[in-house]
Amino acid sequence: MAMTEEARAGTGQHGRITARERQRNPWLGQSVITGFAGAAIGYLLGHLFGNIIASNYAVVKASGVNNVSICLGLALGTLGWLAGLGAFNYAVAKILGYEPAKEEETTGWQRYFKMTLDHKVVGLQYLIAVLGFFFTAGLFAEAFRTELLSPYSHFIGPDVYLQLVSEHGTMMMMMATSLVVGPFGNYLVPLMIGARGMAFPRLEATSLWLFVAGYMVILTAPVYGGFNTGWTAYAPLQTEARGGMDSYLIGFGVVGLGMILNGFNQIVTITNLRAPGMRWTRLPIFVWAMLTTGFLLTLATPVLFVGAYLGVLDRTAQTSFYVNAHGGSSYLWENLFWFFGHPEVYIMALPGFGLVGEMLTVFSRKPLFAYKVAAAGMIGVALLSFFVWQHHLFQSGINPDMRPLFMLDTELISIPTGFIYLVGMGTLWRGRIRFTLPMMFSLAMYFNFLIGGITGVYLSDVPVNVTVHGSFFVLAHFHYTIMGGLVFAFFGAVYYYMPRVTGHMLNETLGKIHFWMMFVFFNLTFFPLLIVGFLGMPRRVFEYAPRLQGLNAFATVADYLLGLSFVVFVANFIWSMWIDPKPAPHNPWQSRGIEWQLPDPVPFHNFDRLPLILSDPYHYGEEDPLPVADFRGGGALAALAEAGVAPFDAYAGRPEIAHPASHISDPGREV
Amino acid sequence: MSKGARLAVVLVFVAVGMGMIVFGVMTYVRENPPTVDFTTGHRPGAPVHLTIQTVGTIGFGPHPSWVSYLVKAPDGKWVHTTLWKVPAHTTIDVTVLEYDGATPLRNQFYGEVQGVGNTYTVNGRHMSLIKATSTAAGVAHTFSVPHLGINIPLYAVPSSESAHECSSAPCHPASAHQTITFSFNSGGVHEDRWQCFIPCGAGWLDGNGGPMQTIGYMGGFLEVTA
Repeated sequence: MAMTEEARAGTGQHGRITARERQRNPWLGQSVITGFAGAAIGYLLGHLFGNIIASNYAVVKASGVNNVSICLGLALGTLGWLAGLGAFNYAVAKILGYEPAKEEETTGWQRYFKMTLDHKVVGLQYLIAVLGFFFTAGLFAEAFRTELLSPYSHFIGPDVYLQLVSEHGTMMMMMATSLVVGPFGNYLVPLMIGARGMAFPRLEATSLWLFVAGYMVILTAPVYGGFNTGWTAYAPLQTEARGGMDSYLIGFGVVGLGMILNGFNQIVTITNLRAPGMRWTRLPIFVWAMLTTGFLLTLATPVLFVGAYLGVLDRTAQTSFYVNAHGGSSYLWENLFWFFGHPEVYIMALPGFGLVGEMLTVFSRKPLFAYKVAAAGMIGVALLSFFVWQHHLFQSGINPDMRPLFMLDTELISIPTGFIYLVGMGTLWRGRIRFTLPMMFSLAMYFNFLIGGITGVYLSDVPVNVTVHGSFFVLAHFHYTIMGGLVFAFFGAVYYYMPRVTGHMLNETLGKIHFWMMFVFFNLTFFPLLIVGFLGMPRRVFEYAPRLQGLNAFATVADYLLGLSFVVFVANFIWSMWIDPKPAPHNPWQSRGIEWQLPDPVPFHNFDRLPLILSDPYHYGEEDPLPVADFRGGGALAALAEAGVAPFDAYAGRPEIAHPASHISDPGREV
Repeated sequence: MSKGARLAVVLVFVAVGMGMIVFGVMTYVRENPPTVDFTTGHRPGAPVHLTIQTVGTIGFGPHPSWVSYLVKAPDGKWVHTTLWKVPAHTTIDVTVLEYDGATPLRNQFYGEVQGVGNTYTVNGRHMSLIKATSTAAGVAHTFSVPHLGINIPLYAVPSSESAHECSSAPCHPASAHQTITFSFNSGGVHEDRWQCFIPCGAGWLDGNGGPMQTIGYMGGFLEVTA
């Protein structure tokens, strides 16, 4: 029987279901429901294979834990999840000799529960996924902060405390690496560079669903007894940990694979799919951030992936890569982990700076100050980030002669980071600042990151590091950089881009309550923790010196209120997007970015004709700035030339050059 | 769907979500073995007699092969738990029936008796130090309460008597064992973590996994109440 075109679709469309049937009932095709079914089948098969293979191993008999069946269950469960979603349909159809059809434009909320090639849908799916990750991990934090209310009275035991800390840290780190690259990278980059989508849309969708699979895998850890190693999972703790460590290793591997795919996709998209005229010097700063982050993801994450794979082999096939007693080296894991782990810090930092770079120019009505310095700073940070990882191992017994070298490297990286920071300050300088919600979050990000950055400089010094290593000082430092920096930038961007993404504004009053609660209680939570760390409180210990109870209790109460601020955000999000949605005006922030000039909603293929880029999007406050793009692909230019008008003189503010659906061709002139 | 209906849907989801979170917290985070209470019926000034035993393999439950502590409740029954509630400012007379073999140590430190004065005896003999590095008859476990500065090495059943070792709890006194006694003062109201510091988790690399990390097996809490 000949297959219909729809039947050959490689994106989750199924064999005998026609397009009309699918339109009538969107659940007939592949979706998360079939994904869950595939995951369950894969898990059970893996578990069965594991039991057949390893149930007679001496170590399994002695410990009662069959790591082989856990690892195989989780790995095959992930494959089943992807297969159920339809991730392999395209490849299978090709192998079988069919030509998969192109994906049709679909509407309706069901498309958010499917594998799709539309980068805008993937972006929104990513947004919900990262928020789910973030809030789940946040709940773990609330639980162990409760334990730290008192050094005497215990809410939970030491083991569960460590499990919660480890689960929280791992989930947050997994989440934070994709917090911006996932939702905003996938949604915005094609729009910002004038492309119709990502270079590899199937890899894009696969990276998302791997991310979701990683979320589920890491949440299985408590079922297997958790893991109590902290998010770093240092060997030999890793090797001797309970079954939950398998969830950690497989989960990090799965998320890591998604990160590699996403990073690679960003690089290829930005390099190859820029619209005509989109020179490197016209690239929005957010795209520069995505490009540098893409390189970091692609080059650093494979090291983590391989490291986790070796860890799985140690725990299943009884190899000894990390087992000192059998000829391996626990240092191997520590080095592999941090060779990924420190670039990861910048995987988290650079996207945040990219986002606030976009918002600062819009809300200060000024061009981005020292644009090239900002781009160079990002490249510099990305390069240097590969040469600093051993500052995490100053106290591990490494060759002491190496410490000054890595101290110097680490201090050097503050120079390009300072470039990026000063670009933000220069942009604000003498700007006409509008204190909108996104702007408030951006300014708060700079405030927080300053504290995180300065404490980081101290930590890079070996003498200080020896004193405060492994303490709450370190913990507070990286929360100031990652949560104070990246997460604030992320929430600012959510408020900023929601009108573009969904066509609805988030409620401003609730948003301001969210902002002030988050800003105040974030600082009231983590600044005291800088102090308790300096006073000697170690991380990952559920009991502490009684003299530190006051500061700890204060931080815990502030943390509860910080958590409450996210409840306000969620309420706002649901209220503004679903319960009482109000249409947003077109381009409500008067941005000059290409992404804001497109009609509402953004067409399926973004651009009917590829735009001709004429300038960078930052000419705010100029009297006669060039339009950013000719959305008729050069047709408007040609028409003007035919009319005998000198193109670039005539371009200034000519509405006919903008997209027909856009009423604001040059918002920079209007404010 | 009207605005009210949407709001109702959200509230239902929130209620269900909160319920699941509370359920998760109560069933997982707060999942603990029972607490044996030595304060009920206790006469002020009288000592509390705490009898515990250590076994090489518990023999039942989710981890039958794990090493474990058990405690004799005031009603005389052996209970598999490491959570004990004792009165404040009271002398605690402890008797340990130690049924496990030796776990040789690289560090003699844990073989030293600390924090109980000269009350420590092994089979009626006063001692202050156990040779921890011995494989034949060294230290099996420790009972250590860091906050009170207590470290009690538990003398192991000699390897020569391994044929008579108990393999399932609670162990009968007819099995080979050592009887260790000591006393300490419970101090003021507080909650103290106690732990075995000998890496005795068989099946885990370096012996520090499994039972060593789990309340109910080789670590627990001493809840001192008024």
